[in-house]
Amino acid sequence: MKTNNVILETATRILLFIILVFAIDIFFAGHYYPGGGFIGGLIFAGALVLLLITYDIKTVAKFLPFNYLVVIAVGLLFAVGTGIGGLLFGKAFLTHWFTYVDFPILGKLSLHTAVLFDIGVVLVVIGTAMAIIQTIGESD
Amino acid sequence: MAFQMLLNIFLAFTYMFMKTNFTLGSFVVGYFWGFVFLFIFRKLFNTRFYFHPVYATFKLMLLFLKALVQSTFGVVMLIVKPKLDIKPGIFALPIELRKDWEILLLSSLISLTPGTLTVQVSEDNSVLYIHAINIDDVKEEIDGIKNSFEKAILEVSR
Repeated sequence: MKTNNVILETATRILLFIILVFAIDIFFAGHYYPGGGFIGGLIFAGALVLLLITYDIKTVAKFLPFNYLVVIAVGLLFAVGTGIGGLLFGKAFLTHWFTYVDFPILGKLSLHTAVLFDIGVVLVVIGTAMAIIQTIGESD
Repeated sequence: MAFQMLLNIFLAFTYMFMKTNFTLGSFVVGYFWGFVFLFIFRKLFNTRFYFHPVYATFKLMLLFLKALVQSTFGVVMLIVKPKLDIKPGIFALPIELRKDWEILLLSSLISLTPGTLTVQVSEDNSVLYIHAINIDDVKEEIDGIKNSFEKAILEVSR
């Protein structure tokens, strides 16, 4: 019997985006407030899980057609790459820099290379969570 | 379409409240991320991505400006020519647009570009009667309007 998921689907269309924006907020809050790459990536994966519950694995694969193992690899490359960036300028491995830049509308922002490292963390977390869920979900 | 736009604005405000930073900057950042995610998951909605009509509207405005400049020069050339060898006439333009505002927009655009003037709309909103200052070829004129303005309006409202 096929059930009608109209309530869940309609709610997902709104909640999904609120969760994703919350994930972005948590991710960028990481330097000064609680949050960061790990929890941001988990919330992002949580949003995708909501999508998986509402629709199915094929739908999610249509929106984000990534091989999640490759996502993990790219995330690790980000993390190692920022580390090697320190070596290239004659400093120790994983040395970070930051600078303050004035943007027209956004105001004064501090740009920190640790964000690149955090992007790597996010990708690894999303990739791991989704790879686990998809592997379990696809095996009947 | 309006739903997606409202959702995007709602997400921008949600982001501002999460940040407790009520500045234009945080609104822009929230709007940007909402836009990105709405674009990625655009197939979740039954209507098309809301930015498409906005983009089409800008294209229509540019098209109107271009036609305005081009045809104004055409009319200026007719005025400064010593001999008045024009062939005015009224022709019927069958239109596919059905909504009232689309017909208003199309007839206004035809009237505002010099050289042509909307005279009358038929009872059943299916034919526009247009006065042209110089008709060499009616079919060419009809195709010109159909391919430029009508297509661009359809792109906005479809």
